[in-house]
Amino acid sequence: MSRVYERLSTAILEGDADKAPKLVERGLKEGLAAKDILDNGLVVGMNEVGVRFKAGDMFVPEVLMSADAMQASLKVLRPELVASGAKLIGKIVMGTVKGDLHDIGKNLVGMMCEGAGFEVIDVGFNVDPEKFVEAIKTEQPDVVGMSALLTTTMRAMAQTIKAIEEAGLRDQVKIMVGGAPVDAAFAERIGADGYGSNGPAGSDLAKKFVGAA
Amino acid sequence: MRTNYRVNSGVRFELLSPDQLQELFDGVLHLLEYTGLDVYHDEAREILREAGAWVDGLRVRLPSYLVKDALAKAPRSFTLWARDGNPQHNIHIGPGRAHFGPGPTCPNFIDVDTLERRPYVKSDVPSVAIVCNALPNIDFVESLGTVSDVHHELGALYEFAGMFPNTSKPIVAWSYDRFDSAGIHEIAVAEAGGQEAFEKRPNYVHYCEPLSPLTSTFEAVDKLIFAARHRVPLIFTPCPIAGGTAPVTVAGIVTQGAAESWMGLTLAQAIQPGLPFFMGGVYSVMDMSSMILAYGAPELPLMMATVTELAHFAGLPLWQTGGCTDSKTFDEQAIIEGSMSVFFSALTGGDLTHDVGYTESAMTGSVFQLAAMDEAIGYSRRITRGIEVNEDTLGVQAIHNVGPNGHYLREDHTRRYYKSEFWYPNLCDRRNYEEWEMMGKTTMKDRTIARVRDILATHQASPIKPETEQVIEKVLAEAEERVKAE
Repeated sequence: MSRVYERLSTAILEGDADKAPKLVERGLKEGLAAKDILDNGLVVGMNEVGVRFKAGDMFVPEVLMSADAMQASLKVLRPELVASGAKLIGKIVMGTVKGDLHDIGKNLVGMMCEGAGFEVIDVGFNVDPEKFVEAIKTEQPDVVGMSALLTTTMRAMAQTIKAIEEAGLRDQVKIMVGGAPVDAAFAERIGADGYGSNGPAGSDLAKKFVGAA
Repeated sequence: MRTNYRVNSGVRFELLSPDQLQELFDGVLHLLEYTGLDVYHDEAREILREAGAWVDGLRVRLPSYLVKDALAKAPRSFTLWARDGNPQHNIHIGPGRAHFGPGPTCPNFIDVDTLERRPYVKSDVPSVAIVCNALPNIDFVESLGTVSDVHHELGALYEFAGMFPNTSKPIVAWSYDRFDSAGIHEIAVAEAGGQEAFEKRPNYVHYCEPLSPLTSTFEAVDKLIFAARHRVPLIFTPCPIAGGTAPVTVAGIVTQGAAESWMGLTLAQAIQPGLPFFMGGVYSVMDMSSMILAYGAPELPLMMATVTELAHFAGLPLWQTGGCTDSKTFDEQAIIEGSMSVFFSALTGGDLTHDVGYTESAMTGSVFQLAAMDEAIGYSRRITRGIEVNEDTLGVQAIHNVGPNGHYLREDHTRRYYKSEFWYPNLCDRRNYEEWEMMGKTTMKDRTIARVRDILATHQASPIKPETEQVIEKVLAEAEERVKAE
C-alpha cells in the first residue's frame, strides 16, 4: 500500500484542507486508482472521525474541519472518479423540509455521507415535498435524507413521505430522517426507514441501507 | 492603549462591607485581649509570655498589638510544591484562588468494590491518594479516614506513609502527636532533599486542631511548635459548633473561632516569623434535633464565607470547608449539599477548601462523593472564571462574516475559542435519549462509580525516590518499636 493513503487519512483526520487535496494529486501522479485513493485514504480518515466523534474525543467544529478537508480532496478526485467510471457506494438526495430554514445538521450529515463514499445531492432548505419528488425522479438516489430542527416543521416530513408515496416512488428509495426534535419512534410513525441522531449516525444508517456497513 | 479601564477577571462576590469586617476584626482582638484562651502547654505559655502576652495560670491574653504584629508577619501569598516538581500539581496560595481537597479522620469508608459502609482500613489510604491524584479539580490530598487496622497510636503515620508515594499533589498531614509529626516530616524532607530544600519548597502542610470554646489543647499546641520550628506551613483549625461549643449567631461563632486560630498564629509567628499560616476551619450549626454538627447545612457555607472574608481582611489564607454532606449515601441530598457548598467556596475564594468527600456528617469518607464533587468544582470554576471582554472576544468580525441566517460552526473564531470558553463535563450526561439508552441508561451514580474504578485500575502517581521508600520503612519500623516498648 502506498504511504500516500496513510498520510491522506491522517490529513483528513486532522482537518488539513490544504494538505489533503495535494496528497490526492500526488497519489494520482503516482498512478494510484482514483477509487483506491477514495477507499483507502479519504474514507478511512472519515471513518476514524466518526469513531472519535462518537467516543467524545472529537467535537463538531473539528468534524467540520475534517469534512472540509474531505470536500477539498473530492474536488480534485471527482473528475478522475467520473472518468474512471468507478461506482460510488450510493447516491443520496438530502434536504431540510418545508418551512424549516436550518441546515447545519443536514449539511453535517451530508458531509459525513460524502466522507463515507456517497454521492450527495443537496436540495437545500425549506424544500417543498414536490421538489423532493422531482429530485428522486431526476437523480435516481438510493437514499433520501430529510432534516428538521423545529417541532413545528416535523410534520412536513410526514407530508413529504406521503407525496413520495403518491408519486409511486416510495419503493425506489430508503428514507432517513433526523434533527433535534426527531426520534426513532417518530421516524417509524411517519413511515421512514430509519433515524440518525447525529452526523456519523446518519452516514452509518445510509451505509446500512445500501448494504455497505 | 486604554485609560481608566477596569477589568473584573472573575465573578464578583462580597458578603460583608469593610465596616462589618472591621467590627468583626475588632471583636476578635477584643476577645483575645480581655477574655483570652486557656493554653494547656507550659512551653507555649512561656514563649507567648516572652513575646508580650499576659499569662495568668493557664489563661493567656494577647494585647492587640501582638496579634496585629503576628498578622503582619504571616504571608498572604506563597506556594505549596508538588513533591515531583510537576507544575500542574503546585498550589499557589493568594488572592482570588480557591483550591479543593478531601478531609481527614472519618472512622468509616464506603468500600470501592462492595459500596458498603465499613471501618476505614490501611489499604484505603493509597486508593484515596490515587483518586485525588487523578481528579483534575482536586488540588491537595488528605486520607478521608482514620486507619483502624494498625496500632491505635500509629494511624496518622500510616496514613501519610500510604498517601505520599501515591500522589504528588501537596498533602495536608494530620497527626496525633509530636512523634507522628516528626516521622511525617522525616519522610517529606527525605523526598525534598534535606531540611533546607524543604524550607524552600514545602511539599506538605501540617494540620492542628484546637478545641472550642477557647482552648489550646496540649497536643494541638505541641504539634504547632514542632511544625513552626521545622518551618512546615501550618493550619490551625478549630471546629466550633454554633449553639453548642460556640455562639449561635454567625458573627459570634466567627469571632470566637478566629480568636482560637489567632492564638495559634501568634504562637507560631513568635517561634518562626513569616511561617505560612492558614486560619481555619469547620464552622456550622448543631442540629437541634439530632445534635450533630451539620456538614450539609446552608449555614456552613455562609459561615465559611464570613470567615474567609475576615481572614482575607486580616491578610491570612483560609482553610475552608465544602463538598460535604449529612447524607448517608450517594443520593440527591449528598449532591445538593455538596455542590452548593462547593460553589460557595469557589465564589468566596477559600484558599484550601477541605472535607470534599465527607458523608454522614464526617463519619464516613467516600471517594464517590469526592469524584462527583470534582465535577461540581469544575462546573463552579467555569462560572467563577468569568468572561473576558476584548476586541477579539466581542466577535464583531465573526458576526459580520456569518451574517443573517448563517452559522458559526465553521468560523475560525469558534475553532479558536470553543474549547476554552466551554466547560466539558466528565460525569454529567448530555447525550440525546437514544444514545443514552444505547449506553445503558446510566445514572450519575453509575458513571461516578465507573470513573473511580477506572482511575484505580489505570492511574499511577509519579514514583518517590528509592531513598524515600527506605525512610518510610525505617520510620514505620521505629514507630512500631516505640509503641511496643510503651
